[in-house]
Amino acid sequence: MITIKCPKCVAPIEIDAGTKFTKCPYCDTQIYVDRSGAGFYYIIDFTLDKDAAIGTFKRWASGPSKVKNLDKTASITNIKKMFFPTYFFRRHVDGKEKVIIEPAQSTTLPGLHRLKIPAGDFQIFDSSYKIDDAELMEPDIEMLHYLDSLPGSGKEQALVYFPIWIIEYSYKGTNYKAVIDASSSEVFASSFPARSSASYLAITAGGFMAFFIEGALAVKYPVIAVALMGVTALAVFLTSYKITKEAA
Amino acid sequence: MSELSVGLTCPACGGTISVGEGEKNIACKYCDSALHIDGDEGVMIAAFKNKITKEQSIDTVKKWWKKGLKSRDLKTKGKIVECYPIYLPFWKIKARTAGWVCGYEERRRTDSNGHVHVERIPLEQMVLRDVIYSNIACDPGDLGIRRLHNFHGELTLEDFTMLPTYESVTSKDDALSAAKMYAIDSGIASAGVPNITFQKVNAIIQDISMIYYPIWIVQYEYNDRIYLATVDGVTNSIISGRAPGDALFQSLAVTGGAAAGGLVASLSIPLAWYSSPEFGVMGFIFGVAITAIAYHFFRNGSERVEGDFKSNNKKSSSDVINDLNELSGLMRGMKI
Repeated sequence: MITIKCPKCVAPIEIDAGTKFTKCPYCDTQIYVDRSGAGFYYIIDFTLDKDAAIGTFKRWASGPSKVKNLDKTASITNIKKMFFPTYFFRRHVDGKEKVIIEPAQSTTLPGLHRLKIPAGDFQIFDSSYKIDDAELMEPDIEMLHYLDSLPGSGKEQALVYFPIWIIEYSYKGTNYKAVIDASSSEVFASSFPARSSASYLAITAGGFMAFFIEGALAVKYPVIAVALMGVTALAVFLTSYKITKEAA
Repeated sequence: MSELSVGLTCPACGGTISVGEGEKNIACKYCDSALHIDGDEGVMIAAFKNKITKEQSIDTVKKWWKKGLKSRDLKTKGKIVECYPIYLPFWKIKARTAGWVCGYEERRRTDSNGHVHVERIPLEQMVLRDVIYSNIACDPGDLGIRRLHNFHGELTLEDFTMLPTYESVTSKDDALSAAKMYAIDSGIASAGVPNITFQKVNAIIQDISMIYYPIWIVQYEYNDRIYLATVDGVTNSIISGRAPGDALFQSLAVTGGAAAGGLVASLSIPLAWYSSPEFGVMGFIFGVAITAIAYHFFRNGSERVEGDFKSNNKKSSSDVINDLNELSGLMRGMKI
């Protein structure tokens, strides 16, 4: 919560991050909150706790593009709980409203250089906000640095801290990193052990070819062809079931 | 920080005035002055009332578990971990599209001598339609939601302070230009002219508003993994979600797909022989297509995804080349 003064009666009024209009509780004056002249600090709450973050990682690791059973075989070596800073500017440029997002911290973490602010409920970040055991990554680039060079005039500028889990894991001796946005559950990773499609392709193509040949054969030897089809169907089913079951 | 607030007072008498949402002309209650309010870039804000309870949203997710080729033991092994409502912001823009699209349509027909005739039919279509464009006003993250699916509901500002409200971090003018493009594109598409030679279609924005829509986020656990589903807080239906797939369905799909595709393809040989070669080729392609669809489900069916997720799991072309290399290696190994 932040407090502003009523322009009419000077009473303190508490406002929230999203408040555009408010009413003075003392003199009933309607007040417009003009954010163009100040810089705000916002923070987004964690909606994923540690267990949920690990669960989300496992869900992601079990996905079809990851190497099979990565969720069970990857060993998590380190977990970090952090707030990551980004600048948010809403500006008036040539009569149009523009949103500009700029980095507040140089990083090599996957997903975070893509410059976005994840979906979340903005809270005012001040001394009353408890960050608990999370690490707050301080911005290493000043807001003023951008304000001087951005086009147009400012309508709103803010530093937004958003919650992330950094999961470091190793798979077959190689270390990987995944970042989980703890507000919307999105998982970012620049590289991960990928699953090969070869066995899937081989089964499908093999099945198709076998049925193609058997279909052609059926014109002359229908009984043999149907019997072969039955065998092929069983073989395709059993091998594909084995592969999918192992990866489930 | 006192310059943060701007009071609204009557310019004639200095008395406090209050302005209701959407009001343009009001009278000052002290001096009766007629006042016109000129909101230079205001956007109407509306919030839909949340109509469902926590239990109802959990119930909806549990019903959804049983549908759509999801893991068969999900209904017994799935466990709800968390369930909470939020307000998500959406731009809702009404636009009218008007204009002309001209062009032609080609029709082929084969006469009794086997000659193919191509006929060009000129087309001139007027476009006049209203469209509603909606787009999420914050980053959709992994929620799988991009558009509004429902525009009807009871309006309220009551819950607004009660539920966590996700902030809009997009610009109004970006949303407007996206809406214009959408209106023009869908207008041209609605004209149904296959070959366009001339087009002049304009979009006029009629109304822009920001809708806050109540959505329940349901987290559930299956095999130590956390999955997420979202439930519409007005209509009580699933908007998006991820769920585990089932190995049985995957292998049944590939068996059925390879059988159907292979047989259809082999059927195309006599078809090519006795009918026309064109039909034969078409039959073969159809057979391959059936198999390809089955393959896609076989390969990716271990996770079922519903909703507007961006496909960030798409493989790059180098991955596909790797797969093919590996496959050819596998083939060689089989020969030996």
